[in-house]
Amino acid sequence: MHFSIIEQVALLVFIALSLGSFLYELWKRIFIVFKGTGSFPFDRLWERWFRFFREVILQEKVIRERFLPGLMHALVFWGFMAFGVITLDHFARGFNGKILGETAYSVYSWVAIPFSILVIIGIVYLAFRRFVLRPKVLGKISITSGIVAIFIALLMGTYLLTELDLPHQIEKVNWWGHTFFILAFLFLIPRSKHLHLVLAPINIFFRPFTIPSHDAVEIDMDASEEELDSMLTGLTKMSRNQALDIFSCVECGRCTDVCPANRGGGILDPKHHFILDLKEPMLSTSDVDVLGQINVEAGWECTACQSCTDICPVGNHVEKSDEIRRHQVLLEGQVPQEYQKVFRNLQESGNTEGAFQSPLAEDLPVYTSDKEYALWLGCFARYGLDPDFEHSVRSFTKILEEAGVSYGVLSQEMCCGDPANRLGDKLTYQMLMDQNKEELQDVKKITSLCPHCVVNLDQEYRKYGEVPYKVEHHTQVISDIIESGKIRVEQGSNEKLTYHDPCNLSRSLNEVDAPRKVLNASSSGFFDMEESGRRTLCCGAGGGLWWKKESKGRTHLVRAQQVVDSGAETVATGCNFCFGMMKQGLGPLTPDNQKEIQVKDIADIVAENLVNN
Amino acid sequence: MGILVILEQKENSIHRMSLEAVAGAQDMADKMNMEISALLMGADVSPYVEKAQGLELKEVIVAQHELLNEYSCDGFSEIVRQVIEKESPNYVVMAHTYMVRDFLPRVSALSGVPFVPDVVSFQVTDGKPVFTKQMFNSKLGSDIVVNGAQGGLISFQSAAYQAESVRKGDAPVRDIEISLTPDQIRSVSEAPFQESSGGVDLTSAEVLVSVGRGIGEESKIPMAKALADAIGAELAASRPVVDSGWLPPFRQIGSSGQNVSPKLYFSVGISGAIQHVVGMKGSQNIIAINKDPEAPIFEIADYAVVGDLHEIIPRLTEALQEQ
Amino acid sequence: MKIAVLIKQVPGSDSAFRASENELWIEEMQIQYEMNESDAYALEEALLIKEAQGSGEVVVVCMGPSARVSKVLREALAKGADRAIHIVEEDPLETDPYQIANILSESIKSESFDLILSGLQSVDLGMGQTGVLLGTMLGMPTATLVIATEISGDKIKVKRELESGWFQWVGLPLPACLSIQSGINTPRYPSLKGIMGAKKKEIKTINKGDVQLRDSLQMVNRIYSMQRDKKTEFIEGEPDSQVSRLMDILRSEVKVLGA
Repeated sequence: MHFSIIEQVALLVFIALSLGSFLYELWKRIFIVFKGTGSFPFDRLWERWFRFFREVILQEKVIRERFLPGLMHALVFWGFMAFGVITLDHFARGFNGKILGETAYSVYSWVAIPFSILVIIGIVYLAFRRFVLRPKVLGKISITSGIVAIFIALLMGTYLLTELDLPHQIEKVNWWGHTFFILAFLFLIPRSKHLHLVLAPINIFFRPFTIPSHDAVEIDMDASEEELDSMLTGLTKMSRNQALDIFSCVECGRCTDVCPANRGGGILDPKHHFILDLKEPMLSTSDVDVLGQINVEAGWECTACQSCTDICPVGNHVEKSDEIRRHQVLLEGQVPQEYQKVFRNLQESGNTEGAFQSPLAEDLPVYTSDKEYALWLGCFARYGLDPDFEHSVRSFTKILEEAGVSYGVLSQEMCCGDPANRLGDKLTYQMLMDQNKEELQDVKKITSLCPHCVVNLDQEYRKYGEVPYKVEHHTQVISDIIESGKIRVEQGSNEKLTYHDPCNLSRSLNEVDAPRKVLNASSSGFFDMEESGRRTLCCGAGGGLWWKKESKGRTHLVRAQQVVDSGAETVATGCNFCFGMMKQGLGPLTPDNQKEIQVKDIADIVAENLVNN
Repeated sequence: MGILVILEQKENSIHRMSLEAVAGAQDMADKMNMEISALLMGADVSPYVEKAQGLELKEVIVAQHELLNEYSCDGFSEIVRQVIEKESPNYVVMAHTYMVRDFLPRVSALSGVPFVPDVVSFQVTDGKPVFTKQMFNSKLGSDIVVNGAQGGLISFQSAAYQAESVRKGDAPVRDIEISLTPDQIRSVSEAPFQESSGGVDLTSAEVLVSVGRGIGEESKIPMAKALADAIGAELAASRPVVDSGWLPPFRQIGSSGQNVSPKLYFSVGISGAIQHVVGMKGSQNIIAINKDPEAPIFEIADYAVVGDLHEIIPRLTEALQEQ
Repeated sequence: MKIAVLIKQVPGSDSAFRASENELWIEEMQIQYEMNESDAYALEEALLIKEAQGSGEVVVVCMGPSARVSKVLREALAKGADRAIHIVEEDPLETDPYQIANILSESIKSESFDLILSGLQSVDLGMGQTGVLLGTMLGMPTATLVIATEISGDKIKVKRELESGWFQWVGLPLPACLSIQSGINTPRYPSLKGIMGAKKKEIKTINKGDVQLRDSLQMVNRIYSMQRDKKTEFIEGEPDSQVSRLMDILRSEVKVLGA
């Protein structure tokens, strides 16, 4: 093939226009991203690269969460990678040059041809899924997706044609066709969700390691009016990471798929409410000051379970209920009445119930500095939000005593602040946190049965400043105790036993093994139910929703139904809120002829199966 | 002068609660050795005079004026003030109705006589009249005494006394002269109207009939509704009933629903889980029906009916309808 | 438009109330105090009226002990009230509504408010009269059980709740005094800006002794628990006999048959 000067000039112009447009649109968005607050994180560099390798190169998350479509997508992606050099070579030929020599080219074809066929298979399947099967989460029919699918197919087609011996004229036409599709694709990329091609790998690299990763909201009560105003205006600005998220979104809908509020019949749709609805405001104002525009009603439905954040294949921190709620509380003063009551109780009596004493706390040993653990009870256990849970606390203390591990309860234990934190009242949260930090100054190790408390004491408090203590969830302590032989357990329970992973424990604290080790040691009938481990479906109590009145959806029933469907006779939990929600949800859903499913904490099951020395 | 009972009219008859007030006044009169007069006020009260005369009273006083054809705070309080000035009663007694709450405090301010509202019982202790009123969310009782010789304006709570126990008699009637000019009435009232409230306020209902899982199935809900209607109650529910979709969320009682403290909480087929109990344990009276004698609800119930609600509810509804 | 809102700080309605040793009040240990519920609705209504008018002043008035009242005053100021008047009253607290209204009247009559809003009744004593008494003492027309307001010029129209689901609109000339029913609106939560701004707003203190001109007309002699030791009566047997017993209970003991 030979290209005339006119053709080369034309080619140059087309490339310039297409590439120019691509870079301009890309730059517009990057410009907005850099208006975001904070900076991109470069900590734990090796971990970031390793994660990049697994999630981007190996497409691990994409394949794992939706196997067949994920695999097909991986094929298309690997195909793109494989075609990199060939594409450059293709353009070089347009200027009568080349990058790959004869041999190199034919060697390359051994890779490129199979890949192009795989890509065609992949794209045909994905198009079939999107346009014929039409799963709900993918949303309305997108013309752009259709065009892109056709382009990719034709790109592979035109490539394959070059491998055949074509008459010169056809060869030329084929070449220009291939060029057109590439340049048109380039034009489309930044204007569509296909921008994820460029941004997703970057977004994945910069994803924070803690989950959730909302920044601390520091409120200085002695600040001047200007300082306060500037802090408040900052509340509605996205961080750079958040802004990058919006442009990286590939609109796959996995986040909405796993959202418990959505599954329970609420209106919350994380894909739109937390991500896509913010794109237009960002582009039209060319700014990131858009967090105040998140749908308020949807924001109040969120249980802060972080399932959406965890499952996103392009590294988005999807959940934004924290942002809109703090906006409603701190800026607007518009808060549902039942949450106003919780805030007032926290301010007045330092706990969610407005209670003044805890018979349980008074009945347990007091913490002194010679004790190994400070046993953090949490409001749920202290004030009997479900009186049956007291038994589980006692099971745990029994295990500790049996193991000879010393513990004590703090005399002054304010609410860890989780409800205030997740509901947006950062002011009350700070007040509680400051008081607790005082109380915990000389404490080295804390253990608690409540994962919400653990997450706050361990992770959230650290966002505001270092803390001297370490926190372990009680299942971790029990697991260590069993492993070290301080107690012996036998597999006494033989009923069909399953485990509901608490969101805070499995996702935020990344702990799914310790509970299972413990349960397998105490039971021979343990099995995993669907959507367990890190994929656990929220019980419905998180995000302050334990205190919610009258809601559109019945979130807690979805998980309870799964427990019933699993055929379990007993469900174990590692969280007092999950415990309470399971007790409420299982009742109405158990068929009349079936025995009521037992709800127990892990500590209960271990305590039942202790072998006395 | 003694005791003056002011009778309200309702639907072409003397208000039932006013008759209860008469019973209360008769109780006061007996204990303090006083006489009772009744006051009828309005534009034309002739339809009510005979009924009033049939009560055991010293006399029936009639105050008529065309400007009293409908209720107005200014009009009614001015007339009562005039009557008090003319007749000098020791006590003015009424029923604790919405109307009384609206204008009797005004009378109190105009005449300098204290208003003791929502009284549930009356005693004479150590020669002093003592009025009992519930306080602190109806959890505690209080004894109230009025100081000085100016007496008191008293309103009795509904059902503090029974209309049936009013003693009958044959009282004479007397007209009283009153004056009222249009400029003394500053309010302009439009016609009253009814509104169908979609979202019912369970917290203000006096009686609640609350349904739990024991009701069995959705088709049995009308049976509970019939009981509620017969007793004049609002329908409420525990969480499982709402979760199953048998009743809407605004009827839910409990920690994630409404918090109520009605005069009577009638629970039907509710086991008494803590999340439900926290929403209603402040109820003044609790009747619970459950077939399980160990049901936790019985720990907080005043009356524990152990039995099959499907047998009891229809019979109870029938008995109430026959009333 | 100058609007006054009468607020009272009361023990939380969910508290476990116990009569004090001397039976003159309640056991105050372990009581969480808060703004009376219907007063919070009255305050919200006042703020909404001021916001709708575009100008004006909302002044909260509260009588109570210095140790605890500042909290509800700060809360009201944080929500948007412009200033507060605190009538300082220490134990023993006044229980005669006439006396209370008189003290309030003496304290605020010089302010010439266009509108005074109060809550319908308080959770503690529940006398339900202070608003009407005060309005009358100041020569204003009054209306109670208000669940909606509409201002036009120098008049106000209010929607009053009547019994059994009936309602009525009543027009009054301003200045007027209204008793507000809970549920009229959705009370706001103090925003952070409001909380910070509240620190700078004026709280004027008046000593109760300086404005109390007369003796009380009624007083609470004794506070005690309504002696009903929870003895659960079990009603068993045949449905017919159970129903018969229930009818008795409903009629004579619980006394709900009748209205």
